[in-house]
This record gives sequence, C-alpha cells and structure tokens, in this order.
Amino acid sequence: MKWTKTDLAQFLQAQEYVDTILIPLIPFQFSQEKDMEKEASQSEWVSLFAMGIEKELAGRVMLVPSYHYLKSADKQMEIERLNDWMANIQAQPFKHIFYLTMDGAWKKEEGALTGNLLWFPMMYDYKNDSGTGDLLQEQIDQVIEVIRTFWA
Amino acid sequence: MSGDKQQVSRRQFLNYTLTGVGGFMAAGIMVPMLRMAVDPVLKTSGHGDFANVNLAVDDITKDPQRVEWEIEQVDGWYKSNVKKAAWVYKNDEGDIIALSPICKHLGCVVTWEGSDQHPNEFFCPCHDGRYYKSGVNVEGTPPTAPLDMYEKKVENGMLYLGEVKPHKEA
Repeated sequence: MKWTKTDLAQFLQAQEYVDTILIPLIPFQFSQEKDMEKEASQSEWVSLFAMGIEKELAGRVMLVPSYHYLKSADKQMEIERLNDWMANIQAQPFKHIFYLTMDGAWKKEEGALTGNLLWFPMMYDYKNDSGTGDLLQEQIDQVIEVIRTFWA
Repeated sequence: MSGDKQQVSRRQFLNYTLTGVGGFMAAGIMVPMLRMAVDPVLKTSGHGDFANVNLAVDDITKDPQRVEWEIEQVDGWYKSNVKKAAWVYKNDEGDIIALSPICKHLGCVVTWEGSDQHPNEFFCPCHDGRYYKSGVNVEGTPPTAPLDMYEKKVENGMLYLGEVKPHKEA
C-alpha cells in the first residue's frame, strides 16, 4: 500500500494485516556538480526498487513518502528526525520498519535507527542507464526474500 | 417600379449575409473546441483489447508458468505503460487457464508453489493465503474469493490475454 487516498482507505479497513513499513532514504545536493547525476540516478533507482517491492507485497507493506535529506547533512540530526517519524508511524501497529537506501553513509549509523536498514550498492552503469528490467526484478525478488525472513 | 416584386433592401441584405457568415465563423471556432472537450469520450475504449503475451500455445504445459507483458494504459490524456502478469497452464481437459496473480485478500502477488509446505498450490507471501491450482481459494486461509481470470484467445498459435474477469467458480 502507498500513501494515497485509495490505498489508505483499504489500510484503515485492514490495519491488522499491514505490519511493515518501507521508507526510501534519498539524498540530494546541488553543491557538488560531479556527483549530482549519480545521486539523481540513485534516487530514481531507489524509488523504482521501493515501488517494485510494494507491488509484490502490497497487502502487508506500507510504502511511506521518501525521506529526503542533504547529502552533506549531519547524520546524527537526520537520525533524530527519522526516529521522530518512526515514533509517529508507530501510532499504528507496525511491527517491522525497513529503510531502503543506496547511500552507504547510513550503514555505519544503522544501530541508532529504529528498524532495519537495507543498503545495497549500485548495480548498473548510471551513465548509460543500462540497468535492465530483469536485473532489477531479480534484485527486488531477493530483497523480498530478506523481508520475508523477518515475517517468519 | 414593379410593385409585385419582393424587394430586399440593402440593410436587410447586409444583415442576412453578416449573420450567415458570422454563424459559420462561430461554428468553425466552436466545433473543434467542443470536440476537444469531449475527446476522451469519443475515443474507442481499450475494453476487450487483447495483448500478445509472447507465449506459443504449444509451450503451455500443465505446470503454471508466469508470463509478463506490457500494455499502454490511457487515463484521459495520460498514457502510461503498465506491466501485467498471469499464471498460465493447461488443465486436465486441455483448456488454457490464465489466472491473475493478484491475491484477493489485500493485493499481494501470489506465486505457484511459493511455499515448500504447500506443493501444488498458489501461495501468497504476505499472509499465507493459498489457492488450489484451479485458482479457488483454500478454505481457512485469508482470501475469501478465487483468483481472477484473464479473458483469452488464441491466434496463429499464440496466446492473447485481455481483461480480468472474476473466476467462473466465484
């Protein structure tokens, strides 16, 4: 389910079945020109990834609006803010929280976050946009397997 | 002066011609505008459109296989490509069955034999919903209805799938 009117109407009918939060963490910045394309590309891929997972697991996973932040921002501050988000989200009975990101800087801070960080490296040539649909789908399937181990 | 002839005065003549010409001009402007306003209504709808799913009928076995294809979805003026998927197999009578993979519980995607504990069934990874091979839901699992079915037709040995319809045993 997504943060849309129709999906939320369904969610409010079936809260007890939807126990997993998926939130993409997406950095952006305009100060380092040489990294801008790469980061925009990461942002697109993380979004595609998130939508792919949501599509397969629509009945149990709630995809919330992406968390955007400045690439250079102090991670401690962002963690505090993210944990505020999660405290609010847990007003509903969500049991599992997954962050989805390609920004490796989160990996080190993982322990301070409420929930689980799913970090994955870029797996395609962003200059040519040659990530094929099949490769993406395969990776999505693998991430779904990881999420399912938390449900078991 | 012949009194029996109907005289048209210069003023009347100009009035008639101007009204006529003005009417034509107004119509010329209004008709395309009206047409544009109701354009989506005039378009033939995509209902009943069948898509080639790139699967030869001879390649369909008794084991369900997943096929995927893309269709162009038109919503008003907005066009987008939507991915569709189906589980296709031949039943014991040799009829082709094409089931929608969308779980009738809350919309997750089911897989054939997705759980080792439940062979020969469709399995929903979200809440352990199960369906028999026919698409009928297993009693006691969350789904309350059988999987939807695609309309199908065969042309030149290729399988074409159309709209989703409720399961015939629903």
